Amino acid sequence: MENDELDSEEFEDFEDEEFTRDLVVPGEILTEDIVNFLPGRGTILNEKKDKIISLNIGLKKITKNYINVIPLRGFYTPRPGDKVIALIVDKNPVKYRCDINAKDFAILKPKNTFKRSKIKTRGRIEKDTGDTSTEKYSIGDILITKIISADRLNMPELTTVGKYLGKRSNGIVISIDTPKIPRVIGRSGSMIKLLKNLTKCHIFVTQNGRIWLKGEDLAHEKLLIDAIKKIEKEAHTVGLTDRMSEYIENEKKKRGIN
Amino acid sequence: MMSIRRVISKIERNYIINNLKNEERIDGRGLWDYREWKIKHNLVASAEGSADVCLGDTRVITGLKYEVGEPFPDIPDEGVCTVMAELLPLASPLFERGPPDEQSIELARVVDRGIRHADCIQTKKLCIKENEAVYILFVDIYVINYSGNLIDAGGISALTTLISSHIPEGKWVDDHVEWTGGYITGETIVKELPIVLTFGKIGDIIFIDPSLPEELICDGKISISVTKDKVTSIQKSGAATFSIDDIQMLNKKAMELGNLLRDNLNLWQYKVNIE
Amino acid sequence: MTLLIKDEYPEKLFREDGKRLDGRDLKELRPIKLEVGILNNADGSAYLEWGNNKIFAAVYGPREVHPHHLAKPDKGILRVFYRMATFSVFERKRPAPGRREKEISMIITDCLEPVLFLELYPGTSFEVFIDVIEADGGTRCASTTVAALALADAGIPMKSLVSSVAVGKIDGKIVVDLSGIEDKAGEADLPCAITWFNEEISLLQFDGDMDLNELDTFLKLAKDALKEIYEMQLNALKSKYITIQEKYNGGQVKQ
Repeated sequence: MENDELDSEEFEDFEDEEFTRDLVVPGEILTEDIVNFLPGRGTILNEKKDKIISLNIGLKKITKNYINVIPLRGFYTPRPGDKVIALIVDKNPVKYRCDINAKDFAILKPKNTFKRSKIKTRGRIEKDTGDTSTEKYSIGDILITKIISADRLNMPELTTVGKYLGKRSNGIVISIDTPKIPRVIGRSGSMIKLLKNLTKCHIFVTQNGRIWLKGEDLAHEKLLIDAIKKIEKEAHTVGLTDRMSEYIENEKKKRGIN
Repeated sequence: MMSIRRVISKIERNYIINNLKNEERIDGRGLWDYREWKIKHNLVASAEGSADVCLGDTRVITGLKYEVGEPFPDIPDEGVCTVMAELLPLASPLFERGPPDEQSIELARVVDRGIRHADCIQTKKLCIKENEAVYILFVDIYVINYSGNLIDAGGISALTTLISSHIPEGKWVDDHVEWTGGYITGETIVKELPIVLTFGKIGDIIFIDPSLPEELICDGKISISVTKDKVTSIQKSGAATFSIDDIQMLNKKAMELGNLLRDNLNLWQYKVNIE
Repeated sequence: MTLLIKDEYPEKLFREDGKRLDGRDLKELRPIKLEVGILNNADGSAYLEWGNNKIFAAVYGPREVHPHHLAKPDKGILRVFYRMATFSVFERKRPAPGRREKEISMIITDCLEPVLFLELYPGTSFEVFIDVIEADGGTRCASTTVAALALADAGIPMKSLVSSVAVGKIDGKIVVDLSGIEDKAGEADLPCAITWFNEEISLLQFDGDMDLNELDTFLKLAKDALKEIYEMQLNALKSKYITIQEKYNGGQVKQ
């Protein structure tokens, strides 16, 4: 139930030097120097092709000669390989339908809920019995899943086979604005480590804006939820990690927990 | 909490119930605490009375319009007050466009009955001329943000609207109504202040003012309207059953909490004085 | 059914000192207050007070199209629902949506569509709900302005914001931003909106009569007023984040 493997390049977006923290809105001109700069994420050339403009409300960031805008608001678009927390909302004998906080529901087929273990008995290959039925999970279950396929036209497909994946039967799931997820993880997982150490909770953060957490008791869980809400609100400020550690220590004293 | 979905996850349900078993709520309240009330009055100039009521994240805007018309034949000397509620689709992904659904009709009906049977509106004073002309009041409730317990928020906002209202005063001259230049204000229209309180029930646990996640997993709800010393209307909704003891307890509780809330909100401060 | 006080218009729309009835100059806008992100259930939201107009806007999307047959396989659809509260006008409006509301919904949809990349979201819908709590002239312009903000607040990729204002002629003089009385008693009314990525007109209606020279003046005046409104929109979008930044950066924020 660790998140350390998630600190890919994308999750470092927010943690950067102060000079990149210019706030921009849709249509705002980022540069008129199109010789030295290229439009990156969240940006576009205007119709006359003499300016680069922003598409989103976000923070301007220059990496090499690309101008990017890191969005502050936005919705989740599924991509293959993403880990997502899914809620089963419907099932029929051949598939589960899951809510993954995207525009479409995702499909989970029963064959992707079992490990492909082929048991040999007397030389004959026996099929795993549960392989083709949707008995394993029920409506209302929370699953940590991985997206195996997703494109614009078809419903995304999920799998629960893999490390850390599968059903969660305790704890609680909260959701925050998707673009602020990287901030909850922090540079190389620094924020998430801090949260884990200080609140002694298990946390699993996924790209679709959902966070599963489980603590010793309700008081610790509530503290962590409040802390995450604070991170969400202040995601675009600098020095957040230090402030959070201070905040949690203060709150612990106030609430009388350790 | 997870964003709003029609299906509530099992672990979220367990989390809410575990909190309730500890006599706590997921937002840190006790079982018998309301969320924070915020009331603004007379914010809409085109209405003859209006209120903007926030109960936690639930937000309701209510306005009053009037017309002069003929009374009903069976009550020739009484004015009429009708309550309408609309759950705007901007308030929640759970609300859909289209004609009023059960939920909005229930909201309007419960608020209406709470007011009607409590000697709240002085319908006799809303009569200009017997058999000929009475005031017809329209109290229209619009839900702006839905975060649970619309009935209590709607009830308070309807009351605030009536208290803050200022209707042109008419007199009967020969065979038609003329404006005297004065206004009828809240004090004339409203007498008793009935407060509607909604209790949720999950399993054996009963609590006041369900928030949205609690409301979505509620087995049932019961709304009780109380004046200072009387119960004036009760509405049980949802598939839960309540024991007689529970209901007796709730009536007592409603009376006690209703009086407390009435004192705390001090709704008479919202009346307007027009010279 | 009757009302005791009648809805009457004054004969003159200018005061003796040459100002308009509400004390404004010819080119002056009414006070505008904009706020974003006020409704926490919606994906994006905004609230506007423009003179006496009070309007909420909320955006949901991209989400599944309902009813399903409206979905297009090659692009997403934008749907705008403009509604007025029963008590938003002088005489109580009937609760069901009327023809006027449907027409305004349609022109706002057409006005906002050029700034969105609908082709990137096939089979989905973006829904914008606009609810007018109080109306006092120019609600279609105010609604367009606030709906653009709500879309930006939802984080939906946009080419630019959209701003809108009405220009009109009252008592023979050309004025900007007609109030309710001026709208009803005036001679001409021209609501227009601009998409800032190409600086072109995206909403245009006109009622009244005027010659070609006047039309030129109208559009020139409108452009100046629209720039003013655009600045307010930018501030509204940014201020929410800047106040939090300032709190922790010791007031040093770059804009």
